[in-house]
Amino acid sequence: MNTLSRAVYYRDLLRELVSRDLKVRYKRSALGFAWTLANPLMYLTVFYFVFQMAMSINIPRFGPFAFTGILVWNWFQSSLSQAIGAIVHNRELVRTPGFQPAILPAVTIVSNLVHFLLGLVLFILFLVLTDAGPGFRILLLPLFIAIQFTLTLGLAYWLAAANVLFRDTAHLVSVILQLFFFLTPIFYQASMVPEEYRHIYNLNPMVHILDGYRSALLATEVSWSALAIIIGVALVLLLTGYRYFLKLSHAFAEEL
Amino acid sequence: MQQGIHVEGLSKQFYRYHADRPTTMKEAIVRRFSKWRAGERFWALRDVTFDVPPGEILGVIGRNGAGKSTLLHLIGGVGRADRGTVWVPRPIAALLELGAAFHPELNGRENIFVSSLVAGLTRAQTKERLASIIQFAELEPFIDNPIRTYSSGMKLRLAFAIGVHTSPRVLLIDEVLAVGDLGFQQKCIERILKFKSDGCSIVLVSHDMQQVGQICDRTLWLEDGTVSALGNSEVVVQQYELAMTRNTRLHTPTQSSTRVTDSGVPLRTNQNRFGSMELEITSVRLLDTLGDSVKEIRSGDPMQIELGYTPRKTIESPIFMVSVHNAEGEVCSELSTAAEGIEVPTTHRPGKISLNLERLDLTQGEYFVDVGAYPSDWRYAYDFHWRAYSFQVRSAHEQKGVLSPPHTWQHSEDDKA
Repeated sequence: MNTLSRAVYYRDLLRELVSRDLKVRYKRSALGFAWTLANPLMYLTVFYFVFQMAMSINIPRFGPFAFTGILVWNWFQSSLSQAIGAIVHNRELVRTPGFQPAILPAVTIVSNLVHFLLGLVLFILFLVLTDAGPGFRILLLPLFIAIQFTLTLGLAYWLAAANVLFRDTAHLVSVILQLFFFLTPIFYQASMVPEEYRHIYNLNPMVHILDGYRSALLATEVSWSALAIIIGVALVLLLTGYRYFLKLSHAFAEEL
Repeated sequence: MQQGIHVEGLSKQFYRYHADRPTTMKEAIVRRFSKWRAGERFWALRDVTFDVPPGEILGVIGRNGAGKSTLLHLIGGVGRADRGTVWVPRPIAALLELGAAFHPELNGRENIFVSSLVAGLTRAQTKERLASIIQFAELEPFIDNPIRTYSSGMKLRLAFAIGVHTSPRVLLIDEVLAVGDLGFQQKCIERILKFKSDGCSIVLVSHDMQQVGQICDRTLWLEDGTVSALGNSEVVVQQYELAMTRNTRLHTPTQSSTRVTDSGVPLRTNQNRFGSMELEITSVRLLDTLGDSVKEIRSGDPMQIELGYTPRKTIESPIFMVSVHNAEGEVCSELSTAAEGIEVPTTHRPGKISLNLERLDLTQGEYFVDVGAYPSDWRYAYDFHWRAYSFQVRSAHEQKGVLSPPHTWQHSEDDKA
């Protein structure tokens, strides 16, 4: 097989596995895709009541602000927690001769991306209809999506491979993700973090990626230097993670 | 470029699972990391070597746990060998874990797409073959129903149909030909034979000895991960069945010895020589009337086949068998002491037994002599040499067929019209 037909094949395979994921998720449910939005809307409602009404935190345009955070975090968290199990939950596929297990973590991230984009489109429509619509900076949105995709995929390769050897990985990561839900400025602003902790707080890449999304959608400020570093880190993570994954992949068949 | 499958010195070690092996990080940390693999090891495969040229079907037989599935997985590139090499042309089609990509909630058509892509087809190729896959699986009326409503036979039929619609250079089949009814099985076998004639290298694991004997060109018998025998399917299957009915393994010598016969063919244990070796056939000579060794006779000449034997212990009334067959494997004559009611006395000393063939009325060509010694109940073989001795038959005229009886032609013309 030459490079072009390989590329066509992997594109087709990715598409087919993602569409399987999407079809299966809401099969036999009456509301189907609408459920994708149920979870973020629930969070938004809770945040609105707790932080706006009860605690009256002063953030301009709190609804859109928090909703951006919820959507982005949701993509990150559900991709990662599903990708970790991508190998151990697909024993038969991994043991199929000729099948490249490296595609599985990518499949979970892409299928969650589809849900994310769906929510994002509805959200942008909502912004255009009710609020001041986003400016020309919305064109930067694909860049932030690409950064987050790279970062998530890099982490996913490390974690999915490690989880085959140590099943604790999945549990550990779900705890850490829960922790980072609070260490990421989803329902508060990064500037509310006390100055003396800010430099540690800023090590969380999702802080800056989320800033990026908000700058694109809500015309807020973003640190380009931090994003440049994150791009580098994400690429290194992806390359090393992919290599680690391939190195372990010959052992997958035995460990499953 | 190399063609077909080449497997050389393939060895694979597994760690036997036991209570000592931690599966969680806590356990690994509590015990020292260096210790977690110190458990018992065993060889799932040891020094397995064979070739499967294009257009050949290799059967793999053996008991459960003999390493058959491990072998197929390693050929398919799943897992890594500890020693040895596997060279396999791609693409590979594997009918190992049928329906691995099936999802119960999706309908047949959707599942065909996912599984075909996993099997290596592109979307465009799948679209082209969709109708043919559905037809092969005989599932036209059900194809839009979710797969969870299918019976297990239907699922296997669908999975098999997808597998045989790829265009592989190597086909690996694990025990799946028992799919569906007899009609469907026949269709599967026809399809496999079609792959064979298209130049595909095929490895078939099966417990159906009759099937192996019929469709496999050669057969590999695995025993505890090592090659117990490799050769002509009928012979290997026969040996395997003998070994299974009576545990000849107890008798089978552990070290394989190689001896070169008078005709220059090496005798290798479990390749062209089988048996318990309680009685060994130590020499086989093809002689003419003067008692000289011959390699070539004229059609109709006599021949004496002399077997020298050495018993390792007292052997009660052994049976000796000699058969002559042609290059295509057709048996021309099979003669045994038992069939003719000749009793060979109980013996514990080396001896000789000769078969005098007064005329060998064979057509010209190459012929082989198989010799064997058996216990009086034929339950297994003491020693059997397969295709190790050959001779040529010459004739003055070109002939077809096997038999060339002494003959004359007579011609006469009717006087009246």
